Amino acid sequence: MRSPFAYTPRQGPLQAASPAAAVAYLGALTACAFLYSSPIVLVATGLGLVLAGRLAGARAAVRAALWMGLTLAVLIVLVNALVVSRGETVLARLGEWPLLGQVDVTAEAIAAGAVLGLRAAVVMVAFAVYSACVDPDRVLRALRPLAGRSALTASLVSRLVPVAAADAVRLRDAALLRGPGAAPVGRAPLARRLLAGSLDRAVDVAATLELRGYSLEAPRAPGRLRAGLWGRKYFAPRSRHDRRFYLTGAAVLVAAIAGKLLGADAFVEYPAVEIGADPAVLAVSVAIALSGLAPLHRSPHRSRSVHRFGAQRAQTVHAGGAPRA
Amino acid sequence: MPDLATSTRAAPALAIAGLTYAYPNAGQPALRDVDLHLAPGEFALLAGRSACGKSTLLRAACGLVPHFHGGEIEGRIEVAGIDAIAEGPGELAAAVGYVAQDPETQVVSTTVAAEIELPLEMRGDPPSSRARAVEEVALALAIPHLLDRAVDTLSGGELQRVALAAALVTRPRLVLLDEPTSQLDPVAGDELIWLLRRLNEEWGVTILLAEHRLERCLAAADRVIAMASGSIAFDGRPRDFLTWAQEADQALETPAARLFSLAGIEPLPVGVRDARRTLASAECGGETSRTPSSLNFFGGAGSASPGRIDEKVQAVRRGSDSSSTTVVEVRDLWVELVPGDAPRDVLKGIDLDVHRGERVALMGRNGAGKSTLLKTVAGLIDPVRGKAECPADVALLTQNPGDYLVRERVGDELPGDAGLAALRLVGLEHAVDADPRDLSGGERQRLALAIALAGRMDGDEMPGVVALDEPTRGMDRARKADLVELIGDLAGRGAGLLVATHDVEFAAAFAERVVLLGDGVAIADGSADEVLSGGWYFATEVARVLDLPGVITPEQGATALSQSADFPFRSAMRNETQTQPPSEGGG
Repeated sequence: MRSPFAYTPRQGPLQAASPAAAVAYLGALTACAFLYSSPIVLVATGLGLVLAGRLAGARAAVRAALWMGLTLAVLIVLVNALVVSRGETVLARLGEWPLLGQVDVTAEAIAAGAVLGLRAAVVMVAFAVYSACVDPDRVLRALRPLAGRSALTASLVSRLVPVAAADAVRLRDAALLRGPGAAPVGRAPLARRLLAGSLDRAVDVAATLELRGYSLEAPRAPGRLRAGLWGRKYFAPRSRHDRRFYLTGAAVLVAAIAGKLLGADAFVEYPAVEIGADPAVLAVSVAIALSGLAPLHRSPHRSRSVHRFGAQRAQTVHAGGAPRA
Repeated sequence: MPDLATSTRAAPALAIAGLTYAYPNAGQPALRDVDLHLAPGEFALLAGRSACGKSTLLRAACGLVPHFHGGEIEGRIEVAGIDAIAEGPGELAAAVGYVAQDPETQVVSTTVAAEIELPLEMRGDPPSSRARAVEEVALALAIPHLLDRAVDTLSGGELQRVALAAALVTRPRLVLLDEPTSQLDPVAGDELIWLLRRLNEEWGVTILLAEHRLERCLAAADRVIAMASGSIAFDGRPRDFLTWAQEADQALETPAARLFSLAGIEPLPVGVRDARRTLASAECGGETSRTPSSLNFFGGAGSASPGRIDEKVQAVRRGSDSSSTTVVEVRDLWVELVPGDAPRDVLKGIDLDVHRGERVALMGRNGAGKSTLLKTVAGLIDPVRGKAECPADVALLTQNPGDYLVRERVGDELPGDAGLAALRLVGLEHAVDADPRDLSGGERQRLALAIALAGRMDGDEMPGVVALDEPTRGMDRARKADLVELIGDLAGRGAGLLVATHDVEFAAAFAERVVLLGDGVAIADGSADEVLSGGWYFATEVARVLDLPGVITPEQGATALSQSADFPFRSAMRNETQTQPPSEGGG
């Protein structure tokens, strides 16, 4: 079974965009999560990313990232509530705990933990959308002129990760299928076996790379395709959608920085929680959330006459007769 | 002075002289004094039992031996005029393409297009020529629709084609293939072989193909090279190879050749078409001869002595005592999996009963749902509807027996009396102190089966179900015969056998019943003789030659030929003879 985060080629604008454009767009949204502590802006950033992921067809990745991110957020809230006793609004006094001392659960500590958890979840969704929508081969090809061998090593690792995941599933199944008279298999032997198998796989993949001519010191050709009969999108690092993502990413960053300078990040955790909701905060939030529409794929324009003809034809068929030729 | 391209075109595709090679720390050489010369445009088949040196020879021809594996080497290897021992695999990459048995390990990119493009990119070709080369090779292999797919969403057959495309995209003069059909169903396997033949004929690519299922590819080959113990034991035409194998190693005979051999008909056929023509020619008084001590083709009562392998197979096919006790009961089974983005119904309302002592072959194309059905019966997958009930235990051996071996001593995998009993059942009680990695491939498989069976036996009885998933991958015929014998033994102890396999000849050897799956639905369920003689792809070679209901093995075919005074095949053969004259190598 494939990981929901695995890259899946699709015909959407985000997949067609060059890796640099996609990274600029998703990076701008991720930067917002680090720039702001306001829960309103963080939620808006998360909404924008979820919207972007769904429009790009990465629903499974977004769902999995949300599940993992929110689980992590709950964990962070719990830990923060137990470890930090600052804040005016004490919800519970849990007495003396070993190592932690006096534990007071405050609403402020919970709110601060929630913000940290929310930020972590937003970042996870951003990486999930990146992982599911940006072709790693194109990323590595873009990096190859800068660091060829490192890019190839990364390429190998990116190939071996799903292979190792599949191996792990098979090994787990085999462990479940052992007869009751066979020695049971714990996690340590399974992990050792998985490691040994991965090394074998790595050797096989390395042999394949040798056969593909990796050891040759050939000049690296620039990754630009001249327009021609044989051109396909996988050779063209540039896409007509690039400008959209560069502009959206730049707009998000400008709005975020301007909002920050104008004080739109009004959030105070201690001693009492204060969340600013002035027009600047709302404007920045709306702008960031709307940026999630960037991967929207517009269907091809259809002329009105064709549409009308199609409607008439459908009516004729519906009326019971075959359409006339 | 001729340039390099001109000189390499004039050179033989592969020239090996006096090659002896030993892997590092190996006790004995894997190749011994090998001499081989392949002319440009030849299609050569590399035959031989497991571990006879076929894969090592292919690895030497593409430069992996000795550059990647190390070891000691003597002799000379030239590929298209390039010294393969002095240069490395990278330098040879433009002249030779290599496709290994397991396509999963020879794909390094995320998408199909990137994978095919990689060799050209490494070579520094400009993007425009890369684009054209990828497009052309994709068209040649009929995979343009796969170019934008992620490699981990492809089936085994599709992945094998992508690996072949990556090997061909540099337009090499020599293509080496190491059992490329071992993981493919009969349809995909036949398609791949004829694709290779077309590339050979239209592009002039020299092909060196190592295979165990010779009946699948002998008719496509111009030449057969048989190896034994690291040396070349035979090198000649396919028909001469069959005559040689009849005497030297019956494990290398094809079923049709075995049929003719048992029936005493000569010459031995290299393929189905050749066999049918020979039979037609015999009836019309052609040059076909019959050996005096053989079975009488048209009704005499001669005798033929099948070899040890066939005796094992026949003993199993004679059958076990099947009783009516049901060990697997599957009713209206629906299973949904998520192989890609969207969930898909892999099994659609399957009904199946397996009885005690019954041997059932589960067949069908790649992705038909065979493995899913076995895993559901074993309880690894929950159905979305219906039930799969087994009153007793289910022992399932999956496609990779190595997954069961996690310790460094056989006795540590199977401790105690139950473990020893399981080892005894599979004939490995002598290997208690061995390291599983030191066992042969067949022994490792039997050890994995023992691990699955341990503790599930009741004395000498095996009350439950034994399920095997593609157990013959990479096996030669002798090892398959051993497996058939083991299956017969398990069935004799009361186990119901449910075996998923692509190998039609293997199914004919062990199964009494065949269930054919198509896209998650059981499209045929009947006796092996009936199902395996009633189709084109899921039919044995003997069935395709004779086209007689219920005749699927060479022994059945020979008996039918010897006993039938009014042989119904004759009229069909007469028509074929009138339209097409016999040819030397056609199949």
